[in-house]
Amino acid sequence: MPQPAAKTAPLLPWDVLPSSVFALLRDLPIVAAGLGLFYGLLTLAHYWAGPVTTQAEIQLSLGALPKYAMFSVARITIAYCLSLALTLVYAYVAAHNAIAERILIPLLDTLQSIPVLSFLPPVMVAMVALFPTRQLGLELGCILLIVTGQVWNMTFSVYSSLKSIPREMQEAAETYRLSWWQTFIQLELPYSAIGLIWNSMMSVAGAWFFLMACEMFVLGNRDLRLPGLGSYLQTAANAGDVRAILSGVAVMIAVIVSMDQVIWRPIIAWSEKFKFEQVEASQTPTSPMLDLLRRSRVVSHLLRVSLIPAREAITLYFAKRSALARHGQRHLRKWMGVGLSIAALAGILYAMGKMTVMLAALSRSEVRSIFWGAGATFLRVELTLLLAGLWTVPVGVFVGLRPKLAAIAQPIAQVAASVPATALFPIVLLVLIRAGGGLSVGSIVLLLLGTQWYILFNVIAGATAIPTDLKEVCDIFHLGRVERWRRLILPGIFPYLITGFVTASGGAWNASVVAEYVRFQKRTYSITGLGAVISQATEDGNFSVLLGATVVMAMVVVTVNRLLWRPLYGLAATRFKLEN
Amino acid sequence: MTETVTEKLRASLSQGQWDRALELLQQLDPAAAANLLMTVPFEQQQVLFRRLPVDFAAELVAILPYFHAYVLLHSRPIAEMHGIVDHMNPAERLQFFDELPEEAWQRLMDELSGQQPAEPGATGVKEAIEPVVAPIEPIIQARQVEKRFARPDGGEVQVIAPTDLSVEPGVILALLGPSGSGKSTLLRILTGLTQPSGGEVLWHGKPPSESRPNVAIVFQSFALFPWLTVLENVEVPLVARGVKQEERRQRAIRTLASVGLEGFESAYPKDLSGGMKQRVGFARALAVEPEILFMDEPFSALDVLTAENLRSELMELWTGKKIPTKSVFLVTHNIEEAVLLADRIVVLGRNPAKIRADFRIPLSQPRDRHSAEFLLYVDYIYKLMTQPELEAGPLAAARTAYQVLPHARPGGIAGFLELLNDHDGTEDLYRVAEELRMEVDDLLPILEATTLLGFAKADRGDVEITPEGKAFAEADIAAQRALFRTAALSHVALLQQMNQALTSKSDHSLPLEFFRDILDEHFASDEAQRQIETVLNWGRYSDIFTYDPETDRVTLDQPAKAADAGPGAR
Repeated sequence: MPQPAAKTAPLLPWDVLPSSVFALLRDLPIVAAGLGLFYGLLTLAHYWAGPVTTQAEIQLSLGALPKYAMFSVARITIAYCLSLALTLVYAYVAAHNAIAERILIPLLDTLQSIPVLSFLPPVMVAMVALFPTRQLGLELGCILLIVTGQVWNMTFSVYSSLKSIPREMQEAAETYRLSWWQTFIQLELPYSAIGLIWNSMMSVAGAWFFLMACEMFVLGNRDLRLPGLGSYLQTAANAGDVRAILSGVAVMIAVIVSMDQVIWRPIIAWSEKFKFEQVEASQTPTSPMLDLLRRSRVVSHLLRVSLIPAREAITLYFAKRSALARHGQRHLRKWMGVGLSIAALAGILYAMGKMTVMLAALSRSEVRSIFWGAGATFLRVELTLLLAGLWTVPVGVFVGLRPKLAAIAQPIAQVAASVPATALFPIVLLVLIRAGGGLSVGSIVLLLLGTQWYILFNVIAGATAIPTDLKEVCDIFHLGRVERWRRLILPGIFPYLITGFVTASGGAWNASVVAEYVRFQKRTYSITGLGAVISQATEDGNFSVLLGATVVMAMVVVTVNRLLWRPLYGLAATRFKLEN
Repeated sequence: MTETVTEKLRASLSQGQWDRALELLQQLDPAAAANLLMTVPFEQQQVLFRRLPVDFAAELVAILPYFHAYVLLHSRPIAEMHGIVDHMNPAERLQFFDELPEEAWQRLMDELSGQQPAEPGATGVKEAIEPVVAPIEPIIQARQVEKRFARPDGGEVQVIAPTDLSVEPGVILALLGPSGSGKSTLLRILTGLTQPSGGEVLWHGKPPSESRPNVAIVFQSFALFPWLTVLENVEVPLVARGVKQEERRQRAIRTLASVGLEGFESAYPKDLSGGMKQRVGFARALAVEPEILFMDEPFSALDVLTAENLRSELMELWTGKKIPTKSVFLVTHNIEEAVLLADRIVVLGRNPAKIRADFRIPLSQPRDRHSAEFLLYVDYIYKLMTQPELEAGPLAAARTAYQVLPHARPGGIAGFLELLNDHDGTEDLYRVAEELRMEVDDLLPILEATTLLGFAKADRGDVEITPEGKAFAEADIAAQRALFRTAALSHVALLQQMNQALTSKSDHSLPLEFFRDILDEHFASDEAQRQIETVLNWGRYSDIFTYDPETDRVTLDQPAKAADAGPGAR
């Protein structure tokens, strides 16, 4: 049947071009952003392909700051993309293969309690060895390190989403013979989207934390530096250059806030449609940026010529393939799964063997310092949580019970939480050391900086969520202040408080690696603690101590999670759940 | 001897030799003839019954299920109906009349006394033409399928007993059963979503590995993808079949128009009401032109009016042959819905699920909810579902050894008894359901609980309050609890068992886990959980014990008082 003439494509894509000046203006920022991105990629490629400059001289001039910021953002972006790919594969396999699930999920649980910074030395050594002559090696090391910091919670979120897809939806996909690809793209990915997006935001915030620490560090006899915001701030603090520190922090906050506005807000507003609710919500998040993109003709044309046909072609390809597929392939896949799991198991056993050998090399005094350190850090972390709780609970409740105040305070707390504590460490140290306080106070301040915000905005959220009728009941029965806290407020915020504490606890253990051992203005400050042991071992290149300390820290974190937080979390989810 | 007559009879029926078939039928004894009659299509039954001599017909009427006899009786002229009824022996006639629900009985009386002449076709029964029926090949055939689930302790619980079921083309089949009877599991086995633990499912005589059945399911929860528009949702199964974009779009739009959703293509499911959502569900199912359209309680998430509207539209599409499916398989717990829609009804019993009845509804569409024939079937199914021992099929009831507690709340039991008491203590069950606006699914557990406790007696579709029940209904709240306690301790095995175990312990307290383990041996895990919830509910209400969720322990309620009250309460 001959196609009607109107269907044939025009020679020139005139319809891309905006028809009015106004439309042109509207598309201008998007075109400019595209060009800027292109230039940035060129610069990066040029720099990464260049020879190794492990000890790059960090310039403290203001003019260098945008370049450093761009490098840091690029690292985070690449690390995030890698994490996303890894997350999808890992979670998909774990959710669909029962054998893999039994290995992958406990593994995930363990991996996410290992402090990321102890991955630093092995990853860096391996990467520098892989690319000895190119800058790429060091960069890749840094990126992989960030990946190890952010991938686990994303994976967990996607995995649990995949597992909780309603049964009838899955049955619909099966009855209507959706290929694995169509099921993934039309059911599984959309269903996981919201959880994945929120966890991505958390992960990227975490990535900033680690990036600040790993852009500049000492490994054995090598002093490794990567140009970026983190190294800029550390250098500025070392030099005691207050102006540079302040401008560095300002740029960092600007970058974080603009990433929030340009990337996360639009994504969250867009992801509204993946909310699994059958009724329209009354209030939906909006984003001017998203509106801009949606109205843009350039974007819609790009989608029309690239993404949509590509999706169509891929989906139809898999549909045809799955129509041809027979049961034989399922067997093949099953055997492949078994083979892979055996390989994975063998790998784990080999690694365990190697680890045992390495741990056997530990001297008695090293073992003692590890366990003393573990005890000291445990007390420090719990003390930090206590202190954080002591100020955030009253403040959070005060703010949360006043809706107008909460509307102002909540975004501030969120921005404060997303500014990586590691970026502020140099400033705090500068102040503390000038004031004469030692690191024993300093480390707790540092830990507090990294943890208190999580608790604060969770408490605010909890206090906001206390139902008005329950508050009115307290008024009617003239409950006193103490009774009111005991009967209503504390139980009401309990689940939120626990969520805050769980996140804060994990963060504090990780932060202890950078908070207990600090090199500052050519001097080393250190106190007893497991984090200090890890940092010290990293600097000395003592891998058996590093391994031993890491294993102990992971074990302590897992134990505390299992024995303390998980039961409390269970209690929060059952007894203290406020149902509306 | 009988065997060969039966075979000959079937052969002559399939060749359309009616006279020969009639002759052979009368050679059989009435019981065998009645059995045989029930196995042939209804149109053939009608033709045969119409030509039978009055005395033989009278014997059949006494033996056939009363609702069936009633409908067959109406295929003959009024004078002959008179003759047949006169020929029945008095005891059997009385029993037949007695079994009929009030409307049907009243109508028959009027007809026989000449007050209301029976016009042909007035019964709403399809007129029999003399068909030459070729043997119908079923689309889907389940042979001895069964389902077992693993228990936590390693044993197995049978949820579906070995079952044969086939779906032939051209019918709407309704699968009825109380909740938890495994209807949905059976649907999933037939569609291939779930593998049976034993037996096999054949599609056009072929095992599933050789044939890819073209089916669609309409789900109770709609199961639409909320992030796709209405149009995209309907396109989903077409994409899976590799249909190209342009054709796909047109087919989807056509299907949407056929279910009355023109103009809603670009809406999202969350913008639609429940009824509209289910229309999208129908459109999605119909878009693939399935051979059998499976529906898993498609109307139960909708409000009454919307459901009614959707049902009648579905029937319009079906009777107008506007939908391309050959058969419809409907799972429901709503008796009226089944009688309204279905050509054939299969009733499942539970623990484990097995087919208790499989019969045709020969009423023409559209059906009148208030006609005597309609109510006859509704009443019959109520009887069937409320009286486990009443069997319509050859399968004997295998009662489970362990007493199953019906999941009713004491408040529901009290309300039911009070209502019954206000109705002079006895009532037709479907009327109670109507009055309470309850579906049989909600009413059954309450009825079972009241009979289990000895507060009421259910008899052939009627329910009657007992003296204990009357006392309970008229007592105040505290006395009700005491009466409940007495009844529970004398009738409910699990409560007796718990009471004894707790009394014999020195501290009158035991972990709930102890009783959970006992129940796990008899029930699948979610059923065991429901049993626990019910027994806790009853035990706490009747002051037999208290339960502390914090420690997960059950403690005898005021053991000293309980010991005194024991004999005193008698």
